[in-house]
Amino acid sequence: MTALRRALQLRSARISLGLLVLVLLVGIFGGWLAPQDPLAQNTAAILQGPGSGQWLGTDYLGRDVLSRLIDGTGRSVFGALEAVGVAMLLGIPAGLASVVFGRVFEWVTLRFVDSLMTLPFIIFAVAVAGILGNGPNQAMLTIGVLLSALFYRITRAATLGLTSAQYVEMAELLGASKNWVIRVHVWNKVLPTIAVTTANCLAAALLAVSSLTFLGIGVQPPVSTWGGMLASDLNFLSQRPWAPVIPSLMIILTVAACNALADAIRDTTGVSPTARTGITGPAAGAGSAQGIGPAQGIGPAQAGPAQGASAR
Amino acid sequence: MVALLEPAVPLAGPAEAVARPVALQWAVRFGTGLGRALAIVVPVGLVSTFVTFALGSFSNSNPAAAVLGDLATPADIARMNHQFGLDQPLLVQYWQWITAALHGDLGTSWFTTIPVADSIKQTLPVDLSLTALAMLIALLLGGAAGIAAALRPGSRFDRAVTALCAIASTVPAFVIGIGLIIVFSVLLPVLPSGGYVPFTENPVQWLRFLILPALALSLDLTADIARQLRNSLVGTLRENFVTGAEVRGLSRRRVVFRHALRNAAGPTLTVLGVRVPQLIGGAVITETLFNLPGMSKLTLDAAAQQDIPVIQGTLLVAITIVLLANVLVNGMLVRLRPQARRRSG
Repeated sequence: MTALRRALQLRSARISLGLLVLVLLVGIFGGWLAPQDPLAQNTAAILQGPGSGQWLGTDYLGRDVLSRLIDGTGRSVFGALEAVGVAMLLGIPAGLASVVFGRVFEWVTLRFVDSLMTLPFIIFAVAVAGILGNGPNQAMLTIGVLLSALFYRITRAATLGLTSAQYVEMAELLGASKNWVIRVHVWNKVLPTIAVTTANCLAAALLAVSSLTFLGIGVQPPVSTWGGMLASDLNFLSQRPWAPVIPSLMIILTVAACNALADAIRDTTGVSPTARTGITGPAAGAGSAQGIGPAQGIGPAQAGPAQGASAR
Repeated sequence: MVALLEPAVPLAGPAEAVARPVALQWAVRFGTGLGRALAIVVPVGLVSTFVTFALGSFSNSNPAAAVLGDLATPADIARMNHQFGLDQPLLVQYWQWITAALHGDLGTSWFTTIPVADSIKQTLPVDLSLTALAMLIALLLGGAAGIAAALRPGSRFDRAVTALCAIASTVPAFVIGIGLIIVFSVLLPVLPSGGYVPFTENPVQWLRFLILPALALSLDLTADIARQLRNSLVGTLRENFVTGAEVRGLSRRRVVFRHALRNAAGPTLTVLGVRVPQLIGGAVITETLFNLPGMSKLTLDAAAQQDIPVIQGTLLVAITIVLLANVLVNGMLVRLRPQARRRSG
């Protein structure tokens, strides 16, 4: 958590964190904050512009847009959190273990992770939702499993850089157990890197969740989500051409806040996997939009000794 | 070129005598390179296709019950299960499925009974058109922006490119798509907001239908290519061999495009390879947004009906495309970077 504290000295990090906390609060208390019932239809006042009574107007069924936006925040944000949580739980221990548990485990997990990365996120999530039923959890867990590949690679790359450090070798020579070395020497150094990845992954997961809800995956129609609002606005562009602006802004701002926070942690701690191993991997920039696996996760891991010809 | 400088090649002798070992070395290197690529691609392909296939068995929907309806007796369902091959062990089923797929047979839809391969053959050209066009746009736009920015690092143009790239990477493709529709189809009605015509029927209409979706899909990749190419080219232009080439009086253009770009293109190409799955995933949303009759519509419709053979077939095709793109990028990397060739030899 020192990483976060140090990052908060930057103004961009404070603003982003403030925004994220605000979004989270709206997400938790959305039901109470909404000025009107987000599901109540009013056929007398459909597709209204912003004005008295409704701040952001009404949609094609006369539902209050502001209330739907507030109500949908929770579904969008917690979906992303669920996915990232699953990704961390699966990816981080496996990444640490791949360095410790020897060649066979390493080879098997690497190939498995490679396989996960070849699966196109959105299509796979659609397929899983199609096969296992279109609930919110199926889609998010799938995104989580696929994102875990990123955590695996980042953790692995950071750990690989550390295990060859002289003080770790020294500790091993002095008879320290593997567990002890990981707990004392590796874990604290890997943590900031994981924090950066988590923030980037959160951005990626948010984009994935809004994309999926836009496609109608993981939601049942009457309830609102940011992506779902965009999809329904799309059919009434000639009446309300500015309607997609607000949900889009919500998505973009939240994603940008996550990425800015990641950048701030990276800049203030200086412990990025690329900096550690001294290898310049591709694109150490902000998380990517389609999200789906920021490129910087892949570069440093590729430089790991066990992988030669992989393009990834 | 580089191979000639290596000590393994005889230094003097007639041209043919030199040429044969070089060609042989080339073949050996290419073979080992391909072998290495296959050693990675084949297990990856097997695992990801098995995951795809195994998903079907986790499903609680029974095709026999779904197809036959409420009136089916247990005997009917058992007969149907036998007909679909669902009463066999999972690995046997997988083996049958994958070998049939290699022969171009992906089974038939449970609901429409149309062969899955036929549906995919119909819809795949849409996806290929869209992603190829998006990739072309990204390479041209991103390449030009990246090179221009790298030639004058720190200039106003360079900073503008960096800022635009940062913005582009936070805006999801479908938001950009909606923006493009609003601007070019609703406010200034110059381009259609949805639909598709095959290239062979009317190339101009084809482009008019595809240009907006391809732009929306490409933006993210454009930003990535520009950023990556700028960074690696700035680094390469500082290296000694570039200074050397300039000292020897080669023109700036020749130095940048023949010498530096070749070396700087490697990481950019890697980014391109890494991004292929995302491009295909992004195509799903773009196609829905612009109402294109592509594979994603097939997948979404199949997902709504739990039509498992169709879902599995489309996923298999998507995985194959990704793996092929990876092998291709690997091959190009070996071709592009002499060091990569040396390492694999």
